[in-house]
Amino acid sequence: MSAETRVPLPPIGAQKFSTVCQFCIVGCGYTVYKWPVGKDGGPRAQENALRLDFTRPQPPLAGEWISPLMHSVVADRDKSRHNVAIIPDKACSVNEGLSSVRGAGLAQTLYSADRPTRARLSTPSLNDGSGPVALGWDATVELGAAVVKAVMDRWGVDAVGMKFFDHGGGGGGFENNWAVGRFFFSSIGTRTASIHNRPAYNSEVHAAGDAGVGTLTNSYIDAGLADTILIVGANPYEAQTNYFLAHMVPNLQGATLELKKSAFASEVVEAGRMIIVDPRRTMSVSTAEAAGGADRVLHLQIEPGGDIALLNAISRVVLERRWHDIAFIEDRTERQTFEAYQRSSLGVDRPMREFVEDAARIAGVTPEQIFKAAEWIARPKSDGSRRRTLVHYEKGLIWGLKNYENIASIVDLALLTGSVGKPGTGCSRLGGHQEAYVRPPYPGGRPALNVDEAVRRGEVKCYWIGGCNPVLTTLRAEALEAALVERGLPVRKALAATRGKPIGERVGAIVDAMKAGGMFILVQDIYMTATARHAHLVLPAAQWGEVNLTSINGERRLRLYPRFMDPPGEAIADWAILARFARRLRQLYLDDNNTQMANRFLDYEWKTDEDVFIHARYQFKGDERDPAEGFAGVTYGLLRSLGNNGIQTPVRMINGRPIGTVRLHESGRFSTASGKARFIPAPRPWAGYAAKVERQRRDNRFWVNNGRSNHIWQTLYHHEHIPFYQDRFPAPYLEMHPDDAKSLGIAPGDLVELSNDVGKVQALAYPSSAVKRGHTFMLFGQPRGAAGDLVSDHVDPATTIPYYKGVWASIRRIGPQPETMRGMSLMPMNVAL
Amino acid sequence: MSIKPDCACTHPCDAQRRTFIKVGAGTLSAGVAYAIAPMTAYGAEGAGSPSAPTVNVTPLDAVKENAVLPFSYPDADSPAVLLRLKGPAQGGVGPGSSIVAFSVLCTHKGCPVSYRPEHKLLICPCHWSTFDPVKGGQMVIGQGSQALPQIELRVKDNVIQAIGINGLIYGRHTNIL
Repeated sequence: MSAETRVPLPPIGAQKFSTVCQFCIVGCGYTVYKWPVGKDGGPRAQENALRLDFTRPQPPLAGEWISPLMHSVVADRDKSRHNVAIIPDKACSVNEGLSSVRGAGLAQTLYSADRPTRARLSTPSLNDGSGPVALGWDATVELGAAVVKAVMDRWGVDAVGMKFFDHGGGGGGFENNWAVGRFFFSSIGTRTASIHNRPAYNSEVHAAGDAGVGTLTNSYIDAGLADTILIVGANPYEAQTNYFLAHMVPNLQGATLELKKSAFASEVVEAGRMIIVDPRRTMSVSTAEAAGGADRVLHLQIEPGGDIALLNAISRVVLERRWHDIAFIEDRTERQTFEAYQRSSLGVDRPMREFVEDAARIAGVTPEQIFKAAEWIARPKSDGSRRRTLVHYEKGLIWGLKNYENIASIVDLALLTGSVGKPGTGCSRLGGHQEAYVRPPYPGGRPALNVDEAVRRGEVKCYWIGGCNPVLTTLRAEALEAALVERGLPVRKALAATRGKPIGERVGAIVDAMKAGGMFILVQDIYMTATARHAHLVLPAAQWGEVNLTSINGERRLRLYPRFMDPPGEAIADWAILARFARRLRQLYLDDNNTQMANRFLDYEWKTDEDVFIHARYQFKGDERDPAEGFAGVTYGLLRSLGNNGIQTPVRMINGRPIGTVRLHESGRFSTASGKARFIPAPRPWAGYAAKVERQRRDNRFWVNNGRSNHIWQTLYHHEHIPFYQDRFPAPYLEMHPDDAKSLGIAPGDLVELSNDVGKVQALAYPSSAVKRGHTFMLFGQPRGAAGDLVSDHVDPATTIPYYKGVWASIRRIGPQPETMRGMSLMPMNVAL
Repeated sequence: MSIKPDCACTHPCDAQRRTFIKVGAGTLSAGVAYAIAPMTAYGAEGAGSPSAPTVNVTPLDAVKENAVLPFSYPDADSPAVLLRLKGPAQGGVGPGSSIVAFSVLCTHKGCPVSYRPEHKLLICPCHWSTFDPVKGGQMVIGQGSQALPQIELRVKDNVIQAIGINGLIYGRHTNIL
């Protein structure tokens, strides 16, 4: 796309769809206009579908603008060509007409033979070492199912391993998640299952579950109602953008005072405050200060691993000052857990000052900051009313030093202060992806099996990967990739040696290869990713906009994301792929006269996306027992009528009508047997490093934090095909302190190499004052440099959660900024005022 | 493994980069090796459509070091700013190719951005999108969906003229209304 200077306007009568962005947890609402090429509307209001006057410029903020990025041209299967414009929906309460940089480019992610998205996978194919060869679906399913069956019959169901998405939005959704769960858990019954971003099948927040507290407990409106918003281990300007901009920022700016007054009739209200716990001075910190003033923002620039100490110290101060919510604790928590918590986590046997000073030392903050944080979180307001505090956390805690106790300590703080189930409060993940979890139960236990290790050990004979890219994102990523290569090779050779032979012979040769340590790999995706390249069978999936899908966002808002165009070639929905394999497996077992196994593969006759949605819906009763994602009583028809504001789950059936839920735990009931929440002890303020992590730390100078960036989404599976995104960061950047960079002779933009005992990776140096000396930050999951190559394979033994944030590496300059990357700006990314 | 090529497609990844280099007067000297985007922004947008006007902005001599000069282009409803930066910039004219100009309407929601010389960035007060005037108005971080449209300048008879726009100005379906 050269500098486009004209965008066609949709005509009256253009097709119009309400949809939700495919990308981050916020799930902004968008409107899709689709009309035939050559039939554009005109600039006068009565000539275009927006009914706006484009003969004059649109005003700022309130105006609507189709930027070049929001427009593209697609072709349907019948070859008819259409303009598509995807613009933010002003009527959606989530984003109120705002787009983020990611959502603004939705139109560019659509398949087109004329654009780089032509790289989409469109034909099922077999790769026996000589490159992908197209098969039809029938031949693909015949071979794949025969291999899966052979593995199950010979080695047992657990020899079939999987790594699939479990999220919502693009590449996920309730429909696909249901099919994945039925196929692998009910039908196959394997325990060797893992999730897109971790090597096991587990919760990212087991401690919250154990406490009985949900993960998405508030509504976005609560960010406007809160007195204080606490953000731990997250960068919402960049990763939950419009939740931050449309809901948190107005609170900091004092623009939600009327909203607060109308909600809290007699309570003192004022502009909100924000506490941000993050080792970096991120754009979130700068913009929060710009919005509310530096005196309303407290940035605790924490040292890695200091979270438990910090959060428990804040809680100790709250307790000592008698600011905790006694009524809430007595009515709604299990008393004995509160007492145990005080003794174990809050160190009540020690003087508070000493406890706080120790914590300050571990966390790298000052005792004064800890006392201040406690005040902002829990000190009663001037009229004696309780402060309303909204507690948010994300990957800084989840992938931090000690996942279980990290989450325990923040949930405990929320319970201590009664910060859940009331307006203006909540204890919630900020989220990365959207959500859409509905599956039959996972047959394995807890802590869950580490599938990466099982793959490396050769226990997985057939590995099925869907909608994720572990070669770029997993821990000890080079070793995982090496396993895919080494174990894939004997199978590749078997396939090559049996080209053109009957399927029985092919499968026999593959089984022989597996006996020698080989592994058959299927990858289901939309592009030939770094992981898909290692597959024997590549299965092309349809994406957002090419299927109907449903998901919830960070406030459990369930909406329909409709189909508005055809997928490329033979790509079909993920659920449809699995259904084909299931039907074939059923037939194979029937041919074997194995009725018992055959019956496990029943009920895959879905014809439409909604068939799958309704099938999943049978899990839900519409009462108190449903999980937070419950959507009893919901149909696509209902969702269409509700548009982009949808309905918030769990949906209860009340007098036969589906009613949404604004906040979890508002009735005071928590998800424990007693209905009361539990304080979960997090006794060790300093968990200490596992030996392999300690070795890394000892041997290498720099801490390499890693995470997301505002501009691009995850592993760039779309964005590397869209110049606006790819060009901003043509290779992953590495933020490092300017003095550290100078000490190593590194200039901005220089190519650097990070290395440790786990691996090596390259990045572009991006000196920044955002990080402390000795700290760095690298973009994760990038095709041109995977931070996962540096992450040790240590996992929290209680949860099998990796310590992605726990990387130490040495850094050296390799060379100057590559010529082809010189267009990239290296200016600071955290300037707001 | 250092670089994992994750793209099986055959197009050169920087072929469609949205930048331009002036050749001739005001050539950017750094020898940067990326493709020159076709200048479709300038002149005809299609048969019968009005082309970008040529507008005198200011005499070259009037542009002192660190100058920040508001003006309008291509019409009175399109506020713009002319900057003299400390060093060479993409698309720069005049001494050391340091004079550039941009539409100031943020490519997010159209609020006017301001040049902050202490940060060397154009920053939007609404949602803090920031743009780099040295790199063709590239968005450094922010929610806009395009670089800040750069106004093509030339020097004629010691007068700086605006002669075209690279990119689409906020709020418009075409630059020339």
